[in-house]
Amino acid sequence: MSLLRGLLGMELIGISVRLFLDFQEKPASLDSALILDVPLGVISRIEKMGGATSRGENSYGLDITCKDMRNLRFALKQEGHSRRDMFEILTRYAFPLAHSLPIFAFLNEEKFDVDGWMVYNPVEEYRRQGLPNHHWRITFINKCYELCDTYPALLVVPYRASDDDLRRVATFRSRNRLPVLSWIHPENKTVIVRCSQPLVGMSGKRNKDDEKYLDVIRETNRQINKLTIYDARPNVNAVANKATGGGYESDDAYHNAELFFLDIHNIHVMRESLKKVKDIVYPNVEESHWLSSLESTHWLEHIKLVLTGAIQVADRVSSGKSSVVVHCSDGWDRTAQLTSLAMLMLDSYYRSIEGFEILVQKEWISFGHKFASRIGHGDKNHADADRSPIFLQFIDCVWQMSKQFPTAFEFNERFLIVILDHLYSCRFGTFLYNCESAREKQKVTERTVSLWSLINSNKDKFKNPFYTKEINRVLYPVASMRHLELWVNYYIRWNPRIKQQQPNPVEQRYMELLALRDEYIKRLEELQLANSPKLSDPSTSPSSPSQMMPHVQTHF
Amino acid sequence: MEFSELIRTGQAQAELLRGPEMPPLRGTLCVTGHHLLLSPGPQATPDLWLLLLRSVDSIEKRVAGDAGTITLRCKDLRVLQLDIEGVEATLDIARSIEALSSLESVITSFPFFYRPKGLRLGESWHFHPPERYYKRVARETRAWRLSEANEDFSLCPSYPRAVIVPRAVDDDALARSAHFRQGGRFPVLSYYHAPSGTVLLRSSQPLTGPQKRRCAEDEELLQAVLAGARPGSRGFIVDTRSAQAAKQARMTGGGTEAKSAYPGWKRLHRPLERGRPLQESFVHLVEACGDLEQSMDRWLSRLDGCRWLSHVKEALSTACLAAQGMEWEGACILVHGAEGTDSTLLVTSLAQLILDPLSRTMAGFQELIEREWIQAGHPFQLRCAHSAFSHTRPKHEAPIFLLFLDCVWQLGRQFPLSLEFGEGMLLALFDHSYASSFGTFLCNSEKERCLCEVRTRTHSLWSGLNQPKEQRKLRNPLYAPNPLAIWPSVEPQSLQLWQGLFLRWTHPPEPSEVAWEKVWQIATDQEKTEGSQPTDSASEPQP
Repeated sequence: MSLLRGLLGMELIGISVRLFLDFQEKPASLDSALILDVPLGVISRIEKMGGATSRGENSYGLDITCKDMRNLRFALKQEGHSRRDMFEILTRYAFPLAHSLPIFAFLNEEKFDVDGWMVYNPVEEYRRQGLPNHHWRITFINKCYELCDTYPALLVVPYRASDDDLRRVATFRSRNRLPVLSWIHPENKTVIVRCSQPLVGMSGKRNKDDEKYLDVIRETNRQINKLTIYDARPNVNAVANKATGGGYESDDAYHNAELFFLDIHNIHVMRESLKKVKDIVYPNVEESHWLSSLESTHWLEHIKLVLTGAIQVADRVSSGKSSVVVHCSDGWDRTAQLTSLAMLMLDSYYRSIEGFEILVQKEWISFGHKFASRIGHGDKNHADADRSPIFLQFIDCVWQMSKQFPTAFEFNERFLIVILDHLYSCRFGTFLYNCESAREKQKVTERTVSLWSLINSNKDKFKNPFYTKEINRVLYPVASMRHLELWVNYYIRWNPRIKQQQPNPVEQRYMELLALRDEYIKRLEELQLANSPKLSDPSTSPSSPSQMMPHVQTHF
Repeated sequence: MEFSELIRTGQAQAELLRGPEMPPLRGTLCVTGHHLLLSPGPQATPDLWLLLLRSVDSIEKRVAGDAGTITLRCKDLRVLQLDIEGVEATLDIARSIEALSSLESVITSFPFFYRPKGLRLGESWHFHPPERYYKRVARETRAWRLSEANEDFSLCPSYPRAVIVPRAVDDDALARSAHFRQGGRFPVLSYYHAPSGTVLLRSSQPLTGPQKRRCAEDEELLQAVLAGARPGSRGFIVDTRSAQAAKQARMTGGGTEAKSAYPGWKRLHRPLERGRPLQESFVHLVEACGDLEQSMDRWLSRLDGCRWLSHVKEALSTACLAAQGMEWEGACILVHGAEGTDSTLLVTSLAQLILDPLSRTMAGFQELIEREWIQAGHPFQLRCAHSAFSHTRPKHEAPIFLLFLDCVWQLGRQFPLSLEFGEGMLLALFDHSYASSFGTFLCNSEKERCLCEVRTRTHSLWSGLNQPKEQRKLRNPLYAPNPLAIWPSVEPQSLQLWQGLFLRWTHPPEPSEVAWEKVWQIATDQEKTEGSQPTDSASEPQP
């Protein structure tokens, strides 16, 4: 990393810390003081390096570890104890939870034209899917989060399952996360259902209600004789979970179901893998055996497994072979990845900007992906074992898909990066807390601003100009290592040697061409109007260039 | 020789499998002098499938029962499978293909028979004569002149008839310098960089030998180069071998420029891989890309192990070094390795693409390839005799030109708007350099092409590619002229496997083509609208 020398100043502005570096010797590449805007929420750890007696250059100062793949290191002068104040202020505001301070989103008074909290309305979303119908009903049984405290208030369940059935099934599922509908195929009516693992335990417990309930789900489609259960975990992990009371659906108990393991590893493995990615890209990129080092992080291999799993789910449902139940252990990490990615492959609606926001809001936020625990908003315990980049991994999978299908998504890469930036920033309430019940208790929608307000009030910035709207096309990405890439623009964006091409030159050029075309069309129209008053009748005036060309030519 | 002697059979019934994404074709298979034909019958949509036999790299036959299978691995990296009825027919067809695809004679090759509609023979050979460029430089600088000392190819058999040399050096001195350089490749101008007034030169190694011989005329020539540039100009000699290898070359009569003999010139060694190691890297890479069984978790380290991307990185870095020398240091650059026909050309042509906006246009790029590869004597016939599948032990094969195209592809990926041509152009050049209906890449030098009368008896690839119907495939719809130098990043994470080439036939149909189609639509709509836009005077109402 390049070493910059100067006077460090600091200003806390609302939710971010602004670090000024005033140079004694100005590097040629910079024409003014360097200003680093670091959202306080992005800081995962602040450490002092060196003590009053340390000697040697750059041995005394502050080391700041960030959640977004960078570290900042400031070497300070020992005199004047400036470091102590800086350290204390930073710690206090970066980790408000430890100091009984509110998270910044609650102090944010930004105003936007659009209210992002209005984007997701579960009833509307299920209605879009054609629900309720003869086989599926919407239930408010979880209105007060009594059935399952990490589920949303509104659930879609089989018509034939009574509320009592639901209560009994919930007792047999880890954290009461009973099987509920995520998505239904508009034509063949097969469904994606999500849940947590059954509480089988060492003794191999069974639960008649759970068995019957899954059979009821199967029977919502007459022609299907087997229900497919995808357990996201590796087989051995599923077996090991029996020791702690969990497990999986056995053949004997669930006659009409077949179970497949998808071999996706747990949150700890993913965290370690991302840590290795950071090691090879920051502060210096491992050059000599780049590809081998990249391989040894296993990050792309994990991406591949997640995508492969989602493809299998999507294929089952799209082919109408069977309905699918997806679970892992608790059903809030890998399960969310699989259902949301499969839905993205199956349903083109989720590939629009608003559709994607709804997808995130529904499958991740409302169904209790533990954002607070996985990201550690405002928490100083950086080494907490609950941290894991599960959501980042999901966004990476989305990026891989958008690379393979450049016309299928309404949003661009910037949209994904902004989502990730605000996953950590704490500027918006969107990703705060672990589940809907906690959010409701804190009145998050009333007291904070939604990230979608920022995005939707400035949508053009996030649009993919190549987007071609299509309906009913199922996307099957190629999940082979040959076709997966490291997302350089995200993971290596802080490396000074990677030239940031902002905005993307291809997109920009394309927009220019579009604008030029529009301008010519407009000028042609004007000229036509000027030339032939007869044609100025709006009902006959041509609207598309192909229609108007003949007109123009007849004049010459 | 009659082709009919080599054709063992007239025809057979066969089914052709073209990979997972394409439907199989069934019909009558037939071998002709230059082609393999499959005619699926009059009702079928593609009424004829045609393969140039020259593009077959290796052939494998298997028989079982009363049928046989022939696997053809093509030079464009495609793998085709033919299921043929009848054992005899299979063996006959296989033998015919084997014999016809490995014919060595140039003048019986297909370009000498290819007479497409709409093209006139001989007319397009003058599209990119290098003399035009040389004359322009001579006019602009006054320090350089066009010499026809090599008119009869006697000074240097691998140079064209006309070359450009310092005005201060006469033809006799050139002859002596030629004598002192391997293969007679004395230093000649490759590119004049007008903004800095410096030049890029190329040559082969000096024949210093173990006695460290010197050649006064050769030294004068390089002295004259510096004198012709800005006062006080320095020079760098970029030797594409390691210092060690350059020293060792003395034992076999070669060597490198001694510091004391060439004041003002500084030598830099940037070893680039060539010859067999490069060919092996290519073979391993193609093997890895075609190995669909391979367990997925080893792919990246296998890709690493092929070292192809490191060769790309080294080639681009060396080209950057040469270009920086000119643009930033105001220095003259001489590039050579040993023979000066391979990695030398790789470096000089890439350096021009980096510096010269003209060479990034469609016409400029064709001119660059004509001048820096074809006329400069890259031995295409030897280097591209076989591609990655051949079972025969490689003799002279090496994918230097492919490495160049890959580097250009990387430039295009990093500067998506700066090249007027697109990936389609690079793929076409790769295909045609290994097997073509056109004469452009035939033979090893201009001398050989003259002997074979390639210019008058075959069509030029450029005339084929410049037909209007080819443009959409070859051009970059987003092109916007960029007057600046384009400095590529050579960090390993900035370089990528060229999937469009190496995974061309295993990849599912590229959905990005949809996007490009849309861009083309917009780009051409805009041109059309622009073209038909009435001028002010024309739009005045008629009285």
